[in-house]
Amino acid sequence: MTVQIGFDSTWQDEFLKRIDDDGPWGNWELYKLAVEVENHTTIPDFEGLQAPKHLPNLTPLPHQLEVAKQVVESMNGKAILADEVGLGKTIEAGLILKEYMIRGLVKKVLILVPASLVSQWAMELNSKFFIPAVAQRKSYVWEQCDVVVSSIDTAKRNPHRDIIYSLDYDLIIIDEAHKLKNNKTKNYEFVQNLKKKFCLLLTATPIQNRISEIFNLVSLLKPGHLGNESAFYENYKKDSRSLNDDAHLKELVNKVMIRNRRADTGIEWTKRHVETIPIEFSHAERDLYEAVTELRGEGDWVSSSQFSVMTLQREACSSREAVYFTLQNMLKRQEQPSRAFQEQIQYLIEKVEAVQQNSKAQKALELIQRINDKVIIFTEYRATQMYLQWFLKQYGISSVPFRGGFKRGKKDWMRELFQKNAQVLIATEAGGEGINLQFCNHIINFDLPWNPMRLEQRIGRIHRLGQEKDVIIYNFATKDTVEEHVMKLLYEKIHLFEKVIGDLDDILTKLEFGSIDDHLVDIFGKSASEGEMRIKMENLTSMIQFAEDMKEGGMNAATGNS
Amino acid sequence: MQQQEIHKFLERYFHANGCEIIDKGPGYMTVQLTIDLDKELMNRPFYWHYLEKTGGIPNPMQLTLITNQQMAPAHIKGEVIHFGSPRLHQIFNSARNLAGYIRLYENHLLAEGKQVPLRPWLGMNVRVSYQCDRKRDVFKSIGLQLINGQMVENFHDRLLAMNLTPKIPDYSFTLSPLIMPGSGVFRVANFIKSEIEQEEHLWADEASRRWQKDLNLLEHFYEDAEEKGESYENEKAALQEQYEPKINISIINGGLFYLTDSAV
Repeated sequence: MTVQIGFDSTWQDEFLKRIDDDGPWGNWELYKLAVEVENHTTIPDFEGLQAPKHLPNLTPLPHQLEVAKQVVESMNGKAILADEVGLGKTIEAGLILKEYMIRGLVKKVLILVPASLVSQWAMELNSKFFIPAVAQRKSYVWEQCDVVVSSIDTAKRNPHRDIIYSLDYDLIIIDEAHKLKNNKTKNYEFVQNLKKKFCLLLTATPIQNRISEIFNLVSLLKPGHLGNESAFYENYKKDSRSLNDDAHLKELVNKVMIRNRRADTGIEWTKRHVETIPIEFSHAERDLYEAVTELRGEGDWVSSSQFSVMTLQREACSSREAVYFTLQNMLKRQEQPSRAFQEQIQYLIEKVEAVQQNSKAQKALELIQRINDKVIIFTEYRATQMYLQWFLKQYGISSVPFRGGFKRGKKDWMRELFQKNAQVLIATEAGGEGINLQFCNHIINFDLPWNPMRLEQRIGRIHRLGQEKDVIIYNFATKDTVEEHVMKLLYEKIHLFEKVIGDLDDILTKLEFGSIDDHLVDIFGKSASEGEMRIKMENLTSMIQFAEDMKEGGMNAATGNS
Repeated sequence: MQQQEIHKFLERYFHANGCEIIDKGPGYMTVQLTIDLDKELMNRPFYWHYLEKTGGIPNPMQLTLITNQQMAPAHIKGEVIHFGSPRLHQIFNSARNLAGYIRLYENHLLAEGKQVPLRPWLGMNVRVSYQCDRKRDVFKSIGLQLINGQMVENFHDRLLAMNLTPKIPDYSFTLSPLIMPGSGVFRVANFIKSEIEQEEHLWADEASRRWQKDLNLLEHFYEDAEEKGESYENEKAALQEQYEPKINISIINGGLFYLTDSAV
């Protein structure tokens, strides 16, 4: 075929001018140096990675180099990087970006990451990769800087949105891309309308999603790769959870997605020690828990949904403050609360007030004092978070709060405070994602999320590359409550904590039913008796174990060991 | 580029720019920059602007560069330079910028008392970039004699073997070119183009195939849509930018060389 050949004529114009003007002429030594520079910087081959030669301070791991090579050479620069948490997706993305920049294929780059990670990305690209990335803080940055890091929530709003659409980006990187699984959201639409010459989507959890979510993510990267919408859903059930059922689909997805697992990397990981700490309620706490539990029998005026009772039960296991907060909200939500309703709430509030101490907090204090090192406490409830901060302060223990809702600067600042000044970081669920805390190796799960993936994400904040010590996880479970049931009957049975994240993904996708949270709500909400609840829990557990066995069976078959 | 090579390169660069190396030892050097090189490298336009306005005494900076951290004495503070460091690439670019155009004469040792004619040559060093979603470069150095139109490759290597000087040597005179420099550049460009056209471009065929394949997928994706809309056009344009095979010829540097008959 004939290829279009361009010739840069700017040199010649200046050359002729200098002949006319009789100079100025360059220095022969510099002229020779310029040619030597050229010989050192020309890249004679399409294949191979140049980036490592430029990065003497970085020793990429073999799997990271392999990913970079594969993306550039066989995926044409459009890929979903889906390594398990903590394998260094940022490094992989950095290598790919650097490679393209060295080769002169990429100049203008847009990097969209969670707000809490903006500074960290900019810093890592500068210090590890010598890429002059700039965190977007002023609107002129878009046009003046070539490599810009921003949060998607900022980028999608005007005036930024219009500026971004008017610019031609060579490479777009999106971190935590699993948040773009729903094609009806504004974020999805924003990214869809970006011109994506080269594009990297980073995510740790793509496979837990439903098949429709995979379709949306892949279509964002490479529309048509999985066919068009109608054809796709004709072939695959929309609600299906198992990508693995269909070998063809799996193969297609693997053409645009790379997923390394910890086990495959051959890296020695530090160990995880998991300790379940049973908590004994005080008399008043038990009283409150029972009172809340009884609501279930109390007609439909409290709340028709099982969810509120369940929420209150779980909150009662966390702190009286959490319960109080929810009760207040329930009261406020009713426009004209009936007398009975008000009385009921008042009754519960009295129970709340009767609670004088928090058994979990006492235990946490004891642990923190014994550990005598940095500790992260995770709780699901903001009220608990605030209480704990106050409580620890009474004993002279400094702590910093962390929430998803914090502004970017505040998140960075809190992380820094924790690293330098405070012993404890108290994070709510939303704080679990998008911040790296590998300088700490103790986690207290003050209460448990009901979605095992979220639990893994919490642990992944500290059990990642760069963690040098064994990671110690303390799980608090209050005896004879829903919490203990989930812990003992589910999480421990399926060996949740000893697992690495990838296994869990696989297992959950094998399950052809809804999310685990829904099942738990159903089990605890609808079981008439303790016995029934146990049986249902056992069913759920054996389903998961069955899926696990299937997976192992499948692996054996694949390696010919069956 | 090895650290040793980098060290040598830097010494030559600063020397060529008239800077004094005021301290050097194993793995490091401290350079007193000239005013020009301070402006070129240190990125402080406000200082220079202020100084020129107020007529102060210019105080160009000193720069300490460490090319080998193991060898450099511990008390030496400076910028660590390696092949990927931004400072080195800034210096690379500066070398290109400062020596884009040149005119040199062969400093021949032919018998005195006899006038020696020097023939004009156009020399051009170029980079040919083959680009699709990947890229590779080839360096070419072409010389064109501006009287008889003779064209030679690897011209730069031949120049390196000669003794060249910016001033016309004694007892020498230059012959006027029959081919004007402008059309000389044109001839060189055409020569390179025709060379490229004779190559086999499997890489371009493959890139076009990848392009077509993704285009087909895209068409299929929007098959059912009545209005294909902006995102379709966007994607289509993105695919073109991603895959379209292109070859670019860019000139690194070049100039006029007056050489004796026997030189080439």
